[in-house]
Amino acid sequence: TPRHATPSIPTRSLPARKPGNVLEEARARLHVSSVPESLPCREQEFQDIYSFVESKIIDGTGGCMYISGVPGTGKTATVHEVIRCLQHSSDQDEIPAFRFIEINGMKMTDPHQAYVQILQKLTDQKATADHAASLLEKRFSNPAPKRETTVLLVDELDLLWTRKQNVMYNLFDWPTRRHARLVVLAIANTMDLPERIMINRVASRLGLTRMSFQPYSFKQLQQIITSRLNRVKAFEEDALQLVSRKVAALSGDARRCLDICRRATEICEHSSSQPSDTGLVGMGHVMEALEEMFSSSYITAIRCASLQEQLFLRAVIAEFRRLGLEEATFQQVFVQHQALCRVEGLQPIGVSEGLAVCQRLGTCRLLLLEPSRLDMLLRVRLNVSQDDVLYALKED
Amino acid sequence: MSVLLQHPGYADERLRLVTERLPCREAQARTMLALMGEPEQYSYPSIFIYGHRATGKSYVTQTLLKELELPHVVVSCVECVSAGLLFEQVLMTFFGSSSSASLPRSPSFSDFVRLYRQLCTQLPANQTRYIVLDKAELLRDMDANFLPGFLRLQELVDDNVTVIFLSEIVWDKFRPNTGCFEPLLLHFPNYSKVELQEILAQDCHPSYSPELYSSYINILLGVFYSVCRDLRELRHLAALNFVKFCEPLENGEAKEKDTHKLWRNIEPHLKRAMQTVYLREVSSVQWEQQQQTEERETADMRVLSAHDHVELPFYSKFLLIAAYLASYNPARTDRRFFLKHHGKIKKTNFLKKHEKTSNHLLGPKPFPLDRLLAIFYSVVDSRVAPTASVFSQDKRLLFSGGASISLPVVLSEPVSTQCLGSPTPDPQRTLPYLSALQRAHQVKVNPCEM
Repeated sequence: TPRHATPSIPTRSLPARKPGNVLEEARARLHVSSVPESLPCREQEFQDIYSFVESKIIDGTGGCMYISGVPGTGKTATVHEVIRCLQHSSDQDEIPAFRFIEINGMKMTDPHQAYVQILQKLTDQKATADHAASLLEKRFSNPAPKRETTVLLVDELDLLWTRKQNVMYNLFDWPTRRHARLVVLAIANTMDLPERIMINRVASRLGLTRMSFQPYSFKQLQQIITSRLNRVKAFEEDALQLVSRKVAALSGDARRCLDICRRATEICEHSSSQPSDTGLVGMGHVMEALEEMFSSSYITAIRCASLQEQLFLRAVIAEFRRLGLEEATFQQVFVQHQALCRVEGLQPIGVSEGLAVCQRLGTCRLLLLEPSRLDMLLRVRLNVSQDDVLYALKED
Repeated sequence: MSVLLQHPGYADERLRLVTERLPCREAQARTMLALMGEPEQYSYPSIFIYGHRATGKSYVTQTLLKELELPHVVVSCVECVSAGLLFEQVLMTFFGSSSSASLPRSPSFSDFVRLYRQLCTQLPANQTRYIVLDKAELLRDMDANFLPGFLRLQELVDDNVTVIFLSEIVWDKFRPNTGCFEPLLLHFPNYSKVELQEILAQDCHPSYSPELYSSYINILLGVFYSVCRDLRELRHLAALNFVKFCEPLENGEAKEKDTHKLWRNIEPHLKRAMQTVYLREVSSVQWEQQQQTEERETADMRVLSAHDHVELPFYSKFLLIAAYLASYNPARTDRRFFLKHHGKIKKTNFLKKHEKTSNHLLGPKPFPLDRLLAIFYSVVDSRVAPTASVFSQDKRLLFSGGASISLPVVLSEPVSTQCLGSPTPDPQRTLPYLSALQRAHQVKVNPCEM
């Protein structure tokens, strides 16, 4: 094998199928990975980040920015779009040239690997973490007249936390050096991360240039989907509104919204009799998809459990009521179970069978159990609320 | 004699041999044969066999597999201190000695499965392969994925392989919390008295008639059956005491027919054996020597539990007594017992109600060093100077395991000591090396001796 081979994956023997009908077309457009050219509803944030990075590049200085927001609010996509626009304008010689480097905390086995990855992307050098740190230190603190500005995007910043926080410290300390010309954009989920986990000297170097991405409102979500679909007529207007209202009420996560829409197109496709003739995705399909995505599976699990398992759950609740606690030993529950068996006119089961029933419920995570070697003294707790169990058992 | 085992796929001749070698276990052997099926057929992925000690779990399994010449490996989980040993043994037996060379240094279960699959394509099984894991309860203490992994090994390696687990513990205590593939459970019941008699009577002495040996076993079981049903233990006792049983016959005092006379001769001997050999107070070699030399009585022998006399220096003795008194008496009563002029005591309500239960039941209590010395001075009649030697005696007692410093949680607390009169000291409060020392030679303090 060649020494410096470029890693690649095997190519397909057949090219990927082109979408055949409207629904498939819509599904391809709604996929989370197909990022659109322009992100709707993030114009203000885009402008802020753009002007921040642009000014730093033009001035030839460095700086930090902290970007926060719940998952699925378009943080990484906006930053990427900013970089794309900046690269476009630097190609046209409107601003000086710059380099863009991206690292992700989730893709590292150890926080110190950040140094290695940054060094490799900057200079194609491979080094150990310590060596890479010292090389980077030297690079950023020594003057070099022809150096271009480096923009570093640090995604999932909270995973770079170490006990001494030296990785975070270095990342935010380098931009303050005079000759560094480094712009760091740090992304994380929580707004108060600098105050919560960073020690003072790290937080103060991060500075106060912060931006938080608000969750999408239902109108914004609707606009996002419409812009994605881009005149492909696959959804009823009301159906889209229902999806966006539901998602906005829960989390405002755009990914979740797109996933539900994709699932609804699938349901629509399956429900129609002929594959060629499919109507629009209606309210019914969307409702079904929402049900699938949001409903708790515990109640279904309890309803589908065997008779003895249902009796056991009932015995657990009876024992909890008797004790007035939310915890009981298997022995206590088993006594209740046998009494219930007699009441129901069933043959009382043995201890082994009772334990098997209990442990099966434990594997479904309906109960929380201790290790099985304690057998009779094993403590039992419910993992769902008592009301849910009673509601599920009441039906029959 | 029992019914012959029959199963298609195995030669009748072999099965007859197996039947002869498995007395009183025909039913279990038949079930196992049915589960195993013919050699080429796929067997159930995992079988869990449980039963008391010495009910023939390993013996039946190994005899069946060995006599029917099936490819099998027997691994005792006690020996496998690391998982690598277990994997190595399995791979070596099935695929030859060079197969385990490519296992990495500390193999994981997936390494084992990968290598097994790889070797299995070169050497596919034409008969069911059996992995017998003896003492399977130790699998629970290994990595969490071992037990579930072995339970569905057949599925993982895609080979005709069956794992047999042998354990004295029921399956309920094995089941992992995340669930697993449920094995078939097979119980080996205890031998009844009749069955024990039948099995024990098989190894009779060649120079005497089988009837005589059978009656000897009958007497032996009459004495020992109430305390011991362990076949191995009983067989050992039978072998040890048979010489004594035959003594009257050799001397010509009795004939083989005089069962009553023989019984009169052996019965007290067996009763004595129960108190000595059975509890391992006297070793088997000692017991046999004593039977030959006859003159000395059994009671005179220095049994193991009589060896716990430790010669101590004068002050050490008193220190030990003081420590014992300090740890088993409430501090409230010290004034009354040890002070010469303690003033008046109210007779009534001297002992509170909860203290009426014996302090010996609750175990020793910790006490500060000051109290130990105070009691020591009041117990010893003469004047003792608190010299370095007294304190060093104190230390030496600690190291010989008589008393132990209980580790104070907060270091500012005074170091307190505790007399280990009880056989089980609180392990958390004892220094680890001290507890090891205690096990090595424990000083028993008997209240009656003082």
